[in-house]
Amino acid sequence: MTALENRPVDRPTPAPAKGRRPWGRPAMYTGYGQDMALLNTGAKKVSLGVLLVLVLLLPFVLEDELLRLLATGAVLAIGAIGLNLVTGYAGQVSLGHAFFLGIGAYTAAVVSGETGDEDLYGFGITFLPVWLLAGGAMAALVGLVVAPLASRLRGLYLAIVTLGLVFLGEHVFREWDAVTGGVGVGRPAADPVLFGVDLSRSTDAFSADQQMYLLMMALLVVFALLGRNIARSAIGRSFAAVRDRDIAAEVTGVDVRKAKRLAFVISGFYAGCAGALLYSVSGYLDPSSFGLLVSVQFVAMVLIGGVATISGSIMGAFFIAILPRLTRELPEYLPFLSSSATEFPNVFQVETLLYGLLIVAFLIFEPRGLFGVWVRARNYWKSWPFSY
Amino acid sequence: MSSTTTRRRVAAASLAGLAVFAAGCRGGSEDPADGGGGEGGSIATDVGVTSDPCPEAVNPDNGCIYLGTLSDLTVGPFAAAGPTIVAGQEAFWNRVNEDGGIGGYDVNVSEYVRDNQYNPQVTNQVYQEIKPDILGLAQTLGSPPTASIVEDLAAEDIVAAPAGWTSLYLFQDVILESGPTYCAEAMNGVDYAAETYSAQSVMAVHYAGDYGGDAAAGASVAAEANGLDFANVETTAGTDNQSAAVAAIVDQQPDVVVVSTGPADMATIVGQSVAAGFQGRFLGSSPTWNAALLQSPAAPALTASYQLLGPWGPWDTDTPGHEAMRAAAGDTTPNEFFLSGWVWSYPMKAALEAAAESGDLTREGLANASAALESVDYEGILPEGSGNYANGGDAAAVRTTQLSDVSADASTGVTVAEADLEGSTAEGYEFTEACYEAIDLG
Amino acid sequence: MRDVLLTTIRGLGFGSVYAMLAVSFVIIYKSSKVISFAQPALMLAGAVLVSYLAGPVGFYLAVPLAAIGIAALGLGLERTTIRPMIGRPVFVVAIITLGLDIAIRVVVNVFIGPDVRNVGDPWGLNTVDVAGLPVQERYIAMVAVLVVVVGALFAFFRYSRYGLAMRAASLDQETAMVQGVSVGAMTALAWAMAGGLAAVAGAFVGAGGGVDQSTWIIALKALPAIIIGGLDSIEGAVVGGLLVGIVESFFASYQGEYLPWLGQNFSLVSPYVLLLVVLLVKPYGLFGTREVERV
Repeated sequence: MTALENRPVDRPTPAPAKGRRPWGRPAMYTGYGQDMALLNTGAKKVSLGVLLVLVLLLPFVLEDELLRLLATGAVLAIGAIGLNLVTGYAGQVSLGHAFFLGIGAYTAAVVSGETGDEDLYGFGITFLPVWLLAGGAMAALVGLVVAPLASRLRGLYLAIVTLGLVFLGEHVFREWDAVTGGVGVGRPAADPVLFGVDLSRSTDAFSADQQMYLLMMALLVVFALLGRNIARSAIGRSFAAVRDRDIAAEVTGVDVRKAKRLAFVISGFYAGCAGALLYSVSGYLDPSSFGLLVSVQFVAMVLIGGVATISGSIMGAFFIAILPRLTRELPEYLPFLSSSATEFPNVFQVETLLYGLLIVAFLIFEPRGLFGVWVRARNYWKSWPFSY
Repeated sequence: MSSTTTRRRVAAASLAGLAVFAAGCRGGSEDPADGGGGEGGSIATDVGVTSDPCPEAVNPDNGCIYLGTLSDLTVGPFAAAGPTIVAGQEAFWNRVNEDGGIGGYDVNVSEYVRDNQYNPQVTNQVYQEIKPDILGLAQTLGSPPTASIVEDLAAEDIVAAPAGWTSLYLFQDVILESGPTYCAEAMNGVDYAAETYSAQSVMAVHYAGDYGGDAAAGASVAAEANGLDFANVETTAGTDNQSAAVAAIVDQQPDVVVVSTGPADMATIVGQSVAAGFQGRFLGSSPTWNAALLQSPAAPALTASYQLLGPWGPWDTDTPGHEAMRAAAGDTTPNEFFLSGWVWSYPMKAALEAAAESGDLTREGLANASAALESVDYEGILPEGSGNYANGGDAAAVRTTQLSDVSADASTGVTVAEADLEGSTAEGYEFTEACYEAIDLG
Repeated sequence: MRDVLLTTIRGLGFGSVYAMLAVSFVIIYKSSKVISFAQPALMLAGAVLVSYLAGPVGFYLAVPLAAIGIAALGLGLERTTIRPMIGRPVFVVAIITLGLDIAIRVVVNVFIGPDVRNVGDPWGLNTVDVAGLPVQERYIAMVAVLVVVVGALFAFFRYSRYGLAMRAASLDQETAMVQGVSVGAMTALAWAMAGGLAAVAGAFVGAGGGVDQSTWIIALKALPAIIIGGLDSIEGAVVGGLLVGIVESFFASYQGEYLPWLGQNFSLVSPYVLLLVVLLVKPYGLFGTREVERV
């Protein structure tokens, strides 16, 4: 027994450091380390490389408007990864993501805001890493405060309580004028300044949207790598243990409370960073922007992308970001829809209707999300031309 | 899952992706900026003006000026008003086109209508989407949505007509607002109450922010000027959320209450306060009225103790502008928002005319022309001299209000009781920044 | 004292509506283990249906007709979108109901139009004198309809075959199936009942003020109510709904005076504060069943 107790239980048996693959068998794993590696197959390495090149080329091909859309998508993806860590990996359903987003956004706005206005707090530190980390840290701190609730509650009870956080948060945002500017007034969001260059203003070389796109994509890569590494480390595995069977996890020596706490802190940090960045794209934030619908959108991203996958979170976020834009293209192909706002059915109603119905249809027909689509497509081509 | 369905789905997904990006490669869809429509030919143009006629043009020989619209059309709090405002403005520009257009161009306001959902983020997104195709904005609805694009509007010299009356618009150069602000309106209301009802105390019951906060700020200024007691009660949207406001009114019994909420909430507040024995008067800001309230249980209370402060006369008013509006509306159900959509369009028309006159229908030309406007012809809907954008915010502020009584006979349920009310408070007040910023309600 | 009594009555009135909505949530939860976020849309649809029917057939007939109509809608939703999701994670189903909510509301909004629609209730804002207190008639009607509805529900679950079958299906689906209960039919029945209840609640939400496009938000107040009461308890939902109504009403009347530092309109979020307090003491609500964990 003593030997068992002394073993580091939340860590797997140490794998042979870097098993060497037999020649000509690139897909064969000879060690646990290889299986858990960041890029565990050759195809992944190649496709990731291709994807990164594509991402770098896009700003020189696409219009500003679409770049901005993709930049927003990248920020949403950061937030979605955060939600997937707490909900997908650790199984703690949170409808409170909008609240953490708001905390990050306002912390960043205050840190970066202009000094000297006594009605609207501001510290005038516009350097991006500073306000970004401040936003993330503040939200993580709140996550730490909220986490004990999660150790008492589960499932839908936890979901509704986190929903309560959103409502309480909205109340605070509405009332605390000195931070938020108040309802219907709002305040400017954090300025994305890096080494003296305000990236939200066009420079000689690049347009503002090109800069913001590149910035957000770079940050997404950083946050996604970080997320993937958390997920495949001991922390990530303890999350999964808590999610799958918390009692079993406890028996095997996972500190369930600690794992839940950590999940909320990390998720809060991601949400805070995403909130800080999200509004610096549009440059303005209003206290009514952090309602239930925002939380729901993030849950939809996670579900549509794929639960407990980092790449799924990214796909889901881009899907939700692009969906409204797609539905707005529809009237071109459906000429019977009226574009007059006073008639029925008009395109605006159909857009909103489709948005709701597409989410429904997606979840019914593709329960594993975009990640599932991807897996099936991959498997199909793997064995092509045979069906299995 | 069979492999064919998989393949089909993958194909569908990639098609959908392509559709987004097919919208345009970089720099691909800029409009041909080859000035000159029908007669002019000498008019310089850049974005959003084409020599090709508008789709379904009234005058096929004319070129086309495209104006965008960002309105709350489906799910936002003003989704009930948005479509009607859009209809009003479409009727207005249709009439302009039928009169021959502007400088050889027709004006199209229906091609680039977008739903902003009253959400700053969405507004910013859809604005970026239509920006490469429009000269200006025929409508941008809501202060928070407008705030999310106003910097970009200024940077790109895009002129916009707002849907709303907040005093903030007075101080934004590219925004062409019409009519008195909520702030001025409330000042006139309180002045009127002090004089006519010998009110000793005023209470402002209002939403927070650019609308309700603006009106409450005006009420507080006028209360101070008249030496009245002032109380400030903030409330939020939702008919079930008005209990606190009603409790405050019944408890403090002010002589007059200035209400700045939505129609349903206003009716709840008035109806319940009167039901609980409140004897004072109610004055409502312009967005508080809706003709359907006459069928509501609060109708008797409204008829007895509520009056509407309006920026211009209601639907049935007898001015050339109203008459043209009624003719253009045809058998559309009378609605004050239709009228508002109509009136808000006048300054844009004046600016376009001035820009065409000076031969420069570029964005910069339009911005310069609108900034130089010293008056706008509202066809009698607003007093002479309204629409003075050339001389700063204070000069641009209109200070007259139309006070209306509830009347079941009128088309929209209200009829003018006191025309062109201009109290001494509003007359003497200098607008230096948005009222709700300038005045601390405590 | 008079104020306190009036505040309580107002709280009980609105609380009754919240309670009805909360019961509709709980009925769905008991059958499908999911919180249906489509209830706000169904409530709104019910209110709008009443507003159209009240003209031709009168309010008293319009309410049951609308309830039947919306029950059919609830049934349709269950058949088309919830049935295929059996066995899938409940959160996926919850998000599906949210998508439905968005879609249904767009359609309902078309029927509301730009104006406030009056539901044609006979009470309006009239008051009646009860022991010297001017009590609004509609509050009395709301409480009365809650008593009738809840009484009928309890009788149904207690004494009817279907009620028994529904309870059995909710307790243990497999065992119920073995006993010959059609679990699918019971789930469908539950969604239909919840739809009907939401419609009735909608009619009373509209009483005295009418409905407009933003009325749906009121249904969200049932969420703290169901958690306070315990997700799987109908009596809990009733108690929770009434508690939410009363707490909200008291905060509305007195918070400005006694706790001004909480900010204006704190009453709106007061149910959530109550929720936190209750859950800190009882993690499964006041009447909820404690989850039994088998190791």
